[in-house]
Amino acid sequence: MTSPDTAVSSAASERTKPHVPGELGIWCFVAGDLAVFTVFFVLIALGNGDQAQVFAQSRASLELWIGVLNTLLLLSGSWLVATAVERCRESVQSGSGPDARRAALQFALAILTGVLFVANKSLEWGIKIAHGITPATNDFFMYFFVFTGIHLFHVLIGLGVLIALRRVSRRERLDSKALRTIESGATFWHLVDLLWIVLFALFYLI
Amino acid sequence: MNGSDTHSGKDHLFYRSMRFCGWSGVAAVTFFIIGGMILGGMLPPLLSPDDTAAEFARRVSEHVVAIRIGSVFLIFSFALFGALAAGIAAQTRRFEKAPAFSYLQLMFGACGTAVAVLVAFSWALMSFRPDEYDPRVVQVLIDFAYFLALFSVPVFSGWCLVIALPILFANEGEEPFPRWVAFFNLWAAVLYAPGLMILFFKSGIFSWSGIVALWIPFTAFFLWILVMSWGILKGAESARG
Repeated sequence: MTSPDTAVSSAASERTKPHVPGELGIWCFVAGDLAVFTVFFVLIALGNGDQAQVFAQSRASLELWIGVLNTLLLLSGSWLVATAVERCRESVQSGSGPDARRAALQFALAILTGVLFVANKSLEWGIKIAHGITPATNDFFMYFFVFTGIHLFHVLIGLGVLIALRRVSRRERLDSKALRTIESGATFWHLVDLLWIVLFALFYLI
Repeated sequence: MNGSDTHSGKDHLFYRSMRFCGWSGVAAVTFFIIGGMILGGMLPPLLSPDDTAAEFARRVSEHVVAIRIGSVFLIFSFALFGALAAGIAAQTRRFEKAPAFSYLQLMFGACGTAVAVLVAFSWALMSFRPDEYDPRVVQVLIDFAYFLALFSVPVFSGWCLVIALPILFANEGEEPFPRWVAFFNLWAAVLYAPGLMILFFKSGIFSWSGIVALWIPFTAFFLWILVMSWGILKGAESARG
């Protein structure tokens, strides 16, 4: 049985102990995925160097507003996820229920941004394919479709993760294990966002 | 013996079989390096899907002795995947009451081993009489080998997933493997995925000779074997009598 003094001092040291969000494993996963995507980014840059003319022309034919909208959607999603995680963290520390249930709404909205991203991307691809532009058209579009496709695969997995996080956040009581799960899942979603920002820059902007 | 705790007793037979399983993984990687990389021309690929059939027949005939010897190493390497699969499943099984994920792991591992063994068969077969076969047959055999190895994504990624899930679902301190192994498996599962693209490209980085569709999945896979071999050897320690 801890005396009031030791209970207070251990709580204080808990607050000052550096807290790694999620767990070591998810950060290893993120590092690994980033490493592989870095290989992709290098390949795109090399292609750009080799076939600058083709890349410039193809890039000009992309609809910039679609890319910008997608970037805004994912950034909004990340912001919603971050505030939801913060709410869950507060709920764990204070032990109160209602705060965490609002997090569930924020996760739901983040899922919505992800769904809209998928819809927007499908629209973009649909328009391109209707105009006869496919991965076989030239190397720029081969990289464009395949790498944004691999990213889309990550978005779909991310949506599954967010759905699971929303379910966890709706539990009556959140313990530190649930918080760890939520933070790990949120970290994956932020990775998905980060990867898109680089892809957006490489395909639409540079 | 505590009936509800299947994973902490001393079991010398289990320990020794797990040592065999763990070291089988290391042997598999070694034999692949000799048979597939140094001798056999699998990685780096000797050929490319956009080479002509005549080129396939010619190159294989040129290196036929090295490919044949390499194929022998390959079949040993890939057959040992079975031992690795059994070791992983056995370690997972120790932490279950009734078999669950361990059975899934055996199924996916058995399927993966069968697929891999066919790769070695195909590699050997193409070097059997490359100057007598129609060149297109030689081409098909190499296509077949790479498709088996790379297009089998659901088998190998699925295997990684059913290894990761029981670790992530386990209670603190009751995991069959350390939690980072689960995340490593999820990473590997994602890295195998580009293998599906070889169906759609006959040249470039997404073809069966390309960086993204060949090198990334193969590198991830052989790293995975080493990580799981370590996991099995580590997990066996607690049973050492």
